[in-house]
Amino acid sequence: MSNVLRPYLAAVRSTLTAALTLENFSSQVVERHNKPEVEVGGSKEVLLTPLTISRNENERVLIEPSVNSIRLSIKIKQADEIERILCHKFTRFMMQRAENFIVLRRKPVQGYDISFLITNTHSETMLKHKIVDFIIQFMEDVDREISEMKLSLNARARIVAESYLTAFNS
Amino acid sequence: MAPQVFNLAQTPITCHAFSPDHSQVAVSLNSNDAQIYTRQGSSWTLTETLSEHDKLITSIDWALNSNRIVTASQDRNAYVWQQTPDPDTGKLIWKPTLVLLRINRAATHVRWSPKEDKFAVASGARAIAICSFDPENNWWVSKLLKKPIRSTVLSVDWHPNNVLLAAGSADMKARVFSAYIKEVDDKPAASVWGSKLPFNTICGEYASPAGGWVHAVAFSPSGDALAFASHDSSISIVYPGGPAIYNIRISSLPFVTLTWTAEDTVVAAGHDCQPVVFTGSEGGWQGVGSLDDSSTAKAAGPRSGLSGGVGRLNSVAFSTFREADSRGHTGGGVSTDTKLTTVHQNTITSVRPYEYSGGRVTKVSTSGVDGNLVIWDADSVSAVAGRIGGMRV
Amino acid sequence: MDTAFRKIDIDVYDEDVLQEEELFDADPREPAQVLSDAKQRQVAVRSALAKSDVLGALNIVLENAPYGPNVEEAKTVNLSTLLNILNTTKSADIPNVIKGLSQDGQDTLMKYLYKGMALPGGGDINWSILLGWHEKLTEVAGTGCIVRTMTDRRTV
Repeated sequence: MSNVLRPYLAAVRSTLTAALTLENFSSQVVERHNKPEVEVGGSKEVLLTPLTISRNENERVLIEPSVNSIRLSIKIKQADEIERILCHKFTRFMMQRAENFIVLRRKPVQGYDISFLITNTHSETMLKHKIVDFIIQFMEDVDREISEMKLSLNARARIVAESYLTAFNS
Repeated sequence: MAPQVFNLAQTPITCHAFSPDHSQVAVSLNSNDAQIYTRQGSSWTLTETLSEHDKLITSIDWALNSNRIVTASQDRNAYVWQQTPDPDTGKLIWKPTLVLLRINRAATHVRWSPKEDKFAVASGARAIAICSFDPENNWWVSKLLKKPIRSTVLSVDWHPNNVLLAAGSADMKARVFSAYIKEVDDKPAASVWGSKLPFNTICGEYASPAGGWVHAVAFSPSGDALAFASHDSSISIVYPGGPAIYNIRISSLPFVTLTWTAEDTVVAAGHDCQPVVFTGSEGGWQGVGSLDDSSTAKAAGPRSGLSGGVGRLNSVAFSTFREADSRGHTGGGVSTDTKLTTVHQNTITSVRPYEYSGGRVTKVSTSGVDGNLVIWDADSVSAVAGRIGGMRV
Repeated sequence: MDTAFRKIDIDVYDEDVLQEEELFDADPREPAQVLSDAKQRQVAVRSALAKSDVLGALNIVLENAPYGPNVEEAKTVNLSTLLNILNTTKSADIPNVIKGLSQDGQDTLMKYLYKGMALPGGGDINWSILLGWHEKLTEVAGTGCIVRTMTDRRTV
């Protein structure tokens, strides 16, 4: 982990802590409904200003807070074509199993690679600071995961190429 | 004295109200039922369940003199519960009375008026229902305060004169209304809020400079000042005679509930998980400290969370994280310590006066999302003034 | 059959619904005046920076910052003035400068930091400097300052 990463994650952490101030809020548009206001967007007054934290143009986090839910979207670093493919496959794998991750959204917000939707139910059943820890941990790990996958992919390509070409080397 | 902590459940306590003699407490455990717990020594046991609502109960109030409970719920209804003898067994049971609320969205907050002949129900229908009893039909009828509310009303509080009502709403305004009902009220005496007070008179409209939903409102014991907490992490004290508004911004997370303990003291609590005390007068207001004293903390390592850091950032987990990061290894991953250094482990949902003595509130009770009910000594703040270093006011 | 009507959002036509511009008090100044104010400030900031008075320069740029609709140009001018200050400040000076700011100044500075980070890049933007300021400002002003950036509808 480099030191450049630290202020970035610290900024995400503090912003997320500030945004995770949720409460139970029943819809004022539809009777007897209770839905995440950040997704519905029906009442402007219960949405707050979305905030962006960026490390550079390819790595940024968007936090959209509202009265009973927040949406957090991450743009993961993708330096080349391989990383782009790996990132796509990786996030797709996760999002297809979104219900197992509880706070994961099935579709990313446009312009980002992966999105989380945290509602007041989550902040009630789980410890708030642990949710923050989870997101930060995820951000740390996803970068590492993808660069590891890239390395092993390259290594495998090399082995495949070598064993294929040995056939012509006799 | 150390605060008394009772863990009632693992689920959030959305609201709580004590019985007049403090032997019982009515709570809603984030469910459709209101539950009455009875005190047995140092623990509470469930004795009664009031089930009539079919959506989450948002607020409960227990009338101290007439011993009646009113509950409000997201199913758009409110019920008044009264203890009546069962015709068969003669045992006292709680019986609900219907309230004709005439609102078409969730009821969010309910409070008895000081004389207990009326109550106010805040709602998501951009209205407040003022309910009074109609003996002819044996039900409660309501009159709606509508203008100029533009969004969900989040909280209400009665003025001691039984007529004026303060309301805080999600359109970022705290307002003072007249809730005068001809059939019930005597003509109110003139006060700092105005002299002529027909129903739905607006006596004042206030907002915090940085906006934010008004989560909680409360009149001072004399009724001459109004305090409100808004989502921009601030509390504001309004003196209508002044006209002065003191806005105190804190460096931590927003408050969602507050109560006056004396004419010069307010206790506020919320997402920061600890009750914070503010004092002042017409000349100015300031933060004093927290009721959450270090001596009550569990042996959970150094109390860096409260004293050293600003805004709940320097939790134990955070420092482990920071260390792991600057040293370049993640030995063991994130800290296994899951405990916060405060008594409440999650957002405090409501703070209410518990015990009075000599015109002051000496004890306050809080309930939180962590399922804890805590009774605090309202005067034990003095020692912490120095420790609240990060809090600028 | 035309089915477009099914997708009309009828709640928008509810006369009670709150509009975005009703959520805050509009700036009393005319847009043209706001712009000329912002340009004057740019000059004042330069002279303050020449005297290496960072705190003075920040106070000038953060006071009466342009907000609301119709003043995009003034906002851009003010942002670039501010970024200029941030980029030229030595990182060792940052904590003291931030402590010298008023509470309003800190809240406004936080808004500008987030605005700077939200931009696609290019120009004066240096993310690591913005993140450094953000970290220092959070240490002084706490999460409350971030909460106020979210709740305040007077976006810079």
